[in-house]
Amino acid sequence: MDVKTVQDVAKFAHLELTDEELETYCKDLGDILSYFELLNEAPGCDERGVNPIKVEDICREDEPKIEYDADELLRDMDTYERYVRGPRLS
Amino acid sequence: MSMNDTLRDLKKINDKYQMFHAMTDDDDCGGASFLFSAKDNLTSKDMETCAGSRILEGYHPVFDATSIEKLRKIGGKLIGKTNMDEFGFGTFSTNSGFEIPRNPYDLDRACGGSSGGSACAASVIDDHISLGVSTGGSICCPASFCGVYGIAPTYGRVSRHGLIDYGNSLDKIGVLSQKASDLKKYIEVIAGRDERDPTSMVQPELKTAYRKMKSVAVPKEGIEGLSKEVDSAFRSALEDLKSMGVDVDYIDMPSLKYAMPAYYILATSEASTNLARYVGMRYGHQEGDHSLKFDDYFTAVRSKYFGDEAKRRILLGTYARMAGFGGRHYAKAREVRQVVINDYKNVLKDHDAVLAPTMPFTAPKFSDISKMSALDSYKADYLTIPANIAGTPHLSVPCGYDSDGMPVGMQFVADHWHEDVLFSIAEDWEKQFDLKRPEVSI
Repeated sequence: MDVKTVQDVAKFAHLELTDEELETYCKDLGDILSYFELLNEAPGCDERGVNPIKVEDICREDEPKIEYDADELLRDMDTYERYVRGPRLS
Repeated sequence: MSMNDTLRDLKKINDKYQMFHAMTDDDDCGGASFLFSAKDNLTSKDMETCAGSRILEGYHPVFDATSIEKLRKIGGKLIGKTNMDEFGFGTFSTNSGFEIPRNPYDLDRACGGSSGGSACAASVIDDHISLGVSTGGSICCPASFCGVYGIAPTYGRVSRHGLIDYGNSLDKIGVLSQKASDLKKYIEVIAGRDERDPTSMVQPELKTAYRKMKSVAVPKEGIEGLSKEVDSAFRSALEDLKSMGVDVDYIDMPSLKYAMPAYYILATSEASTNLARYVGMRYGHQEGDHSLKFDDYFTAVRSKYFGDEAKRRILLGTYARMAGFGGRHYAKAREVRQVVINDYKNVLKDHDAVLAPTMPFTAPKFSDISKMSALDSYKADYLTIPANIAGTPHLSVPCGYDSDGMPVGMQFVADHWHEDVLFSIAEDWEKQFDLKRPEVSI
């Protein structure tokens, strides 16, 4: 896996890698993906479930409820006037 | 040792074995009827929950995971949250942002992963059960390395509400204990439908009546690549099973060898999306520079606090989901999962379980683990991954010891929802197996 690809993937995943990390992950991911080529010879199947068991849509009643106290939820959060604080958008 | 004595000595025990990341401040057992611990990726109201990651340092959940809530409800006292690989990413519990649990049989060796602290606690503390979580083998692997019984039930049997997800289609909550009878006793408590986890809502009733295991199938692919001592202990255990009236047949299951790459494609794809929520807001570390634009803020926090293996799996999973590669490998991985499920179901028409050693070697030394590449470590999971990708219930029992006295485990895999036959073989096996407890000194 080349350096440019790893850098692009890292940027997409919101990770900044040091030069040392970049070198390590290039080699590791290259080795891992080469090994995974084994999948090319694996038998196929018409079924492609997302879960290993069959999951049905079973919905609970759509009733409004408050399970947790808002102040308790905010206790460990960085807030400003009870709003969760985050970085600027632009 | 009484429960109060155990609690009193807990800190000293932990200094030696590093099994707990957080411990209870309350030394009084009060009206508790038993003590338990839980892997640190299960939320708990009274203790910090970090899932082995520094990015979650300081996170104090406002609710208990359903499994913890249910154990408290029947009189259990949660005494600690156990150390683990960061978000479950590992085979040895060495990929942690915090403490690394030490094997009770040899402190220079690993407990296995990723529920290593849970296996250590189950092995060291008398009359103790620990909740573990398995995504690719994270209950059976450490159970094998630490010489205890461990069960991962069928996917969807135990509610995942309150579990900090690794791979949503793979994660399963189970139990580790020195006593085989505890597996049935406590799975029965934590199992059941929970409207807060839709995948738990389709399960049939858990059967707990005794059902003797009559036959097992041993896949040739499951006895390749073993260390000599694991191979020897396993073959001896097969003779013991035969003497217990269990038929042993050797079979071929060629799909098993494709399970490992398929698992890592699926698991890292899911993990990389799950971990996108950790951006230095709402929980964990939130001291980022608010003058930065949001992309740079998120990147700075994530780059600083995610560990090496977490970054590797985020990169792998992100790449696997990208156009081009994803179309080729992600879809194929989903097909392989179904092929493995179909193969298990075919074999289990004629047998009660598929059986192989749990791990190809006994607990390695930390010095040897540090020399392993990432791919070497992934390959070590080839025996535990197939049952996990298939969502089938699986059980590890101690079945022997190597020349250094390190435990060997073997793993039974049953069909979906057939935990009963695993409970029964665990109890039958325990009656004839000479369990050697580690020497525990405080």
